[in-house]
Amino acid sequence: MPALEKVKYRPVPVRDLFLEMKNLSELMIDLAYSAALFNDRELAEDILELENRVDTLDYLLEMTIMIAARDAHDAEALAGVSAVASAADKISDAAADIAAIVTQNIGVHPIVSQVFEKVEERLMQAKVSVDSSLVRKRVGELDLAARMGVDIIALRRDKDWIINPQKNEQIRSGDVLIVRGVHSGIKEFKEMAEQKSK
Amino acid sequence: MSQGSQARFEEIVERLVELKDTSELMIDLAYSSLFLKSRELAEEVQRLEEHMDKLHTDFELLVLQSEFKKEEAKGFLGLIRLGVATEKIADAAAQISEVVLRGIEPHPVLQLSIREAEETVAYVTVAKDSPLANKTLAEARIPEETGMWILAIRRGNKSVRPKPDTKIEVGDVLIASGYAEGVEDLKKLSKR
Repeated sequence: MPALEKVKYRPVPVRDLFLEMKNLSELMIDLAYSAALFNDRELAEDILELENRVDTLDYLLEMTIMIAARDAHDAEALAGVSAVASAADKISDAAADIAAIVTQNIGVHPIVSQVFEKVEERLMQAKVSVDSSLVRKRVGELDLAARMGVDIIALRRDKDWIINPQKNEQIRSGDVLIVRGVHSGIKEFKEMAEQKSK
Repeated sequence: MSQGSQARFEEIVERLVELKDTSELMIDLAYSSLFLKSRELAEEVQRLEEHMDKLHTDFELLVLQSEFKKEEAKGFLGLIRLGVATEKIADAAAQISEVVLRGIEPHPVLQLSIREAEETVAYVTVAKDSPLANKTLAEARIPEETGMWILAIRRGNKSVRPKPDTKIEVGDVLIASGYAEGVEDLKKLSKR
């Protein structure tokens, strides 16, 4: 169980907080199904970490809303924002529940993944090694979608998460990339990211 | 695994895929109802929530009725838990749509862009002679032709989450968003 830290208020626009919660919670759902169906512990642990982050964002958003409400009209409109944010938080909780199926060693019956493999794309994480040919490349110049049917949908750099990295984002060694794509493509990509010099 | 249990298993997985797709469609529609200030879409989410409850019960009964071996119990527990998570996601979507249905004037924060505030939601039925019939969404090129974006497809009492390879069938109700001008184009395309 990770230590829970006190959430200290800092001024962030409500809109930014809300959008990040929305995007993260949706990403987490996609990650969670992949983690459960392919029994991917690395992905499952990413999700539990993201869940912490969404909780923190929710606290910050509630604090910001409280400060922003000046009258009854504000309060009415902001109560709606609060309800939507708590729904996004609930979605991320559901993703964490799915991840827990993996981290608690329960697992999902293997036949399910056989079926899903046919209908669903898979997500996987890959850590970029020092020797990888991806280092210092920009996301756009890799042309992954055309070359191997793979998309980078998120990137973790130390404690920061970048969702849907831009084309000009430069990949660094140590980055953890979350990719989505067809089975063969993401396997090829993982090898490329984790390659060691010979 | 015997042939009978194999068939039952495939049915379980099929139901699970339906639960997953429905819950994700609900999330998409719930946010759209919010951004487009659409009561109709919010009601669609509520309708799907009721459908979801039924789907979920059927799924759980099916899992519990399957004759699994002792060593398979964990894997089946995992299935049940996946089902519960889809239900939780559906509840969250319903919660978002309730904000719209309560008629609270949405805070500007919940309006993603000015573009979306000006868009409308349209419902069109695909006629037998429509050029859209029996095409996949990728082939139909609806956004390119009309500027309208397909949010969901209602098919009988089911709702389908649109994917590029989803095939459009005669009688489908396409639920789409876009500028008012596009609605007429989409209507023409679905009739013809």
